[in-house]
Amino acid sequence: QETYTLRFNHVLGPNEPFHQGFLDWAERVEQRTDGGLTIEVFHSAQLGVEEDIIEQIRQGANIGQNTDAARLGNYVPGIAVVNGPYFVESLEEAYQLADSPTMQEWQQELADEHGLKVVCFDWVQGFRNFFTNKPIRTPEDLAGQRIRTPPAPIWQESIRALGAEPVALNFTDIYPGLQQQAVDGAELVYPNITAANLYEVLSHGSETKHILLVNFQVVSSQWFNGLPEDYQTALVEECRTAGQETSATIEEAVAEAKAEVMEQGMTVVEDVDLEAFREAGEKAYEELGLVEAKNKVQEEIGK
Amino acid sequence: MGTIYALLKRLEAVLAGTFLLLMVVLIFTGGVARMLGHPLNWTIDLSTASFAWGAFLCADVAWRNNALMSIDVLTARLPARAARALTYANYLIIAGFLVYVIYAGTWLSWTSRARAFQGIPSVSYSWVTASIVVGGLLLLLTTLIKVHAALKEDGLFRSSSTVAR
Amino acid sequence: MLIVAIAFIVLLLMGMPVAFAIAISGTLFFIQHPELPFTIPVQVTVSQTQNFALLAVPLFIMAGNLMNRSGITERLLELASVLTGRLTGGLAQVSIALSALMGGVSGSAIADAAMQSRILGDEMVKRGFPLGFAASVLSYGAVLTPIIPPGIGMILYGTIGQVSIGRLFAAGFVPAFLLWLSLSVAVWLTAKRRGYMPEREQWPTGREAIRAFTGGIWAILFPVFLLLGLRMGVFTPSEIGAFAVVYAIFIGVLIYRKMKVRGFLEAMEGSLGDVGSVMFLIALSAIFSYGIVLDRVPEVVSGWILGVTGNLQGAMILVALFVLVIGFFIDATVLIIMLTPIFLPLIRQLGGDPVHFGIVFILAATIGNFTPPVGAAMYAVCSIMKCPIGAYTRESVPLFAAVALVTLFLIFVPGAVLLLPNLIFG
Ligand code: NA
Ligand code: NA
Repeated sequence: QETYTLRFNHVLGPNEPFHQGFLDWAERVEQRTDGGLTIEVFHSAQLGVEEDIIEQIRQGANIGQNTDAARLGNYVPGIAVVNGPYFVESLEEAYQLADSPTMQEWQQELADEHGLKVVCFDWVQGFRNFFTNKPIRTPEDLAGQRIRTPPAPIWQESIRALGAEPVALNFTDIYPGLQQQAVDGAELVYPNITAANLYEVLSHGSETKHILLVNFQVVSSQWFNGLPEDYQTALVEECRTAGQETSATIEEAVAEAKAEVMEQGMTVVEDVDLEAFREAGEKAYEELGLVEAKNKVQEEIGK
Repeated sequence: MGTIYALLKRLEAVLAGTFLLLMVVLIFTGGVARMLGHPLNWTIDLSTASFAWGAFLCADVAWRNNALMSIDVLTARLPARAARALTYANYLIIAGFLVYVIYAGTWLSWTSRARAFQGIPSVSYSWVTASIVVGGLLLLLTTLIKVHAALKEDGLFRSSSTVAR
Repeated sequence: MLIVAIAFIVLLLMGMPVAFAIAISGTLFFIQHPELPFTIPVQVTVSQTQNFALLAVPLFIMAGNLMNRSGITERLLELASVLTGRLTGGLAQVSIALSALMGGVSGSAIADAAMQSRILGDEMVKRGFPLGFAASVLSYGAVLTPIIPPGIGMILYGTIGQVSIGRLFAAGFVPAFLLWLSLSVAVWLTAKRRGYMPEREQWPTGREAIRAFTGGIWAILFPVFLLLGLRMGVFTPSEIGAFAVVYAIFIGVLIYRKMKVRGFLEAMEGSLGDVGSVMFLIALSAIFSYGIVLDRVPEVVSGWILGVTGNLQGAMILVALFVLVIGFFIDATVLIIMLTPIFLPLIRQLGGDPVHFGIVFILAATIGNFTPPVGAAMYAVCSIMKCPIGAYTRESVPLFAAVALVTLFLIFVPGAVLLLPNLIFG
């Protein structure tokens, strides 16, 4: 019996629920294939930079990567909508994406033309909120606020549309950047705040819930097609199961992290004018020419 | 031939220096602009791109000036002829490695041309990858010139002027 | 990885430049793994140059070269000579003090060592210090840089290990002071033993001191302004090097009016070779560390340590030793990213304090930068000063011993590390 190995890389730390989730995925796949398919999980981007890994995957290596729609949008532009503001607003909506014909078309294009096989994308990191040193209730409150934002265009446009000034800052510069006011805030999920001790340098968490971050598990389509069919099924199905379980765990982790940041003295702002933010967010899709793509997928999932 | 090479060296130094200074200007401007509330996010991207080009061009400058460190604990104790043979072996291995770097770098620049630089859709990351290809070519040229110079020193290579005579 | 390590040693002994030796032996790993794309070695090398945290290295090298042409260095040396000329081994002590000053600014030991050897290297040799001694003092002084806050290493460790960065910062001060003290004593002992005479016979008069002080005011203000730039949020730690370059040019052109076009071009030309030799090595070493990660060497070692000892101090010593050895090959920044998630849980399991371990760990990872066979800071200093590795190694023994002693002391006396953070944060 031929055995297969997948080396799976992600940028998150070993204490993040996603890492445990990937280990669970690995264990189930290994059990289900009687050790025929093993997944070695590498945390903290140990195997390398996300973009590098995606290129290695495209070259057919037995390597996988946890990534987001913004990066996949480099190859198939439409798919970036998943990263847009208020695109999906609950776990249920996120899981329904898998059944959207347009999403399936995009995945097919990723596999056929770019060698990227999306195994599943039931891994939801939770709502991103604004973390600053003042309360944020309306888009106007964000005026002039320099907010650290990941460097992808969809991300930058989204944050700009919501009223803030996006700043692409190196990951390790977030803490000192906030401490010394090179930036005024960041948009993150609650567990990021506790993980990086950012409550030491931030006072307010405003629940704008502007992006529900859906992650994608990507492997080489060439490698994937070379797997026995039952291994392929095992890989995909266990990915979905482990992903949905992890997403549920994260909802709990978010609640815990939220309690902890409050205990650490942060003020949580819940009375946010979500309607105003939703409306402002539309501008991002217009700016990037993704309005049609967004409407189509949202219609397909009945949102 | 000599003048073309001199020109190439000059060009390399000017370009390398320009890339380093560009880094400074971009990072400095980016910091000040951010402080004034108008962050220019492209400055960071462009500075790391010029860092790649600057670093690999500088690597060639260092290799040509014999400024790359090596350890001579063994070679200093060997008889001159043996040490000399090791020098040739080093050049040979390095040249082979550089050929690989140029080949793999070219291939990578080509196949990954769809990869966007820092997520900017219209700019390909291949512009960054290409820096190691150009750097590799220059390093290979420098290595071959070193071999040539060594052969001449050892009297194993007649320079074209002696042939003409 | 065994074949890779053997190939590396063989190539090194053949006298091949270390940058090539590390790259070529590292590439052998990929020949053993044909399932991996053959482009990875090239790809990871390029990626190193896209690492924003490493930008500090070329920037501070340039700043050092420019300071030499701007008149800052001269005045700094004059001041140093007046203030420390009476001390045994004066300029050597100055270089360590300068590292402590710069430590608050540049987060990178490699950048600091490279800049200082540019500024003080020639002058120390001119004043009669042996080349190897001067190089090793300039190099080891930079051990302070990542320990004095802010340090990129602390930020990385804190972020990855979920440890309070504020506490880590506070925890750095006492160990930094101890390191300074021990290096200073080591230099003093060597100077005394060898009879390096003080350059001046008398302590300076008040008048002389004031004159030297006002003359060197812009040099003294250099780290102060850089710190101000950091504190006021104009620059982040990764960006501060750019400010240093601009400051050196500004002072040279407008204040001292010493830097002309020619001097500027010469400084830039000197920077090219310096940047090339240091960055090429750092970039290529990524090829080597790839195999270490893929073979899960650290995980194996971690399991082995637990098998050997259940004692916290014993485990910390073993971890420090392993980090030191692997630090021979890999940059401290990369080491911290790679090893924090593996060793911190082990230390926690044995009841260790994460802040205490963090300081010991960062220190051990940094020391690897100064020791043969591969130390990026060592190579930076030696290539800038044209110092043979052998001479450097011989002369650095007392300094290594001083730093190692402090590390051991910190392992056994956690209070020295935890005193300040507990005082500040309760
Ligand atoms: Na520091
Ligand atoms: Na070392």
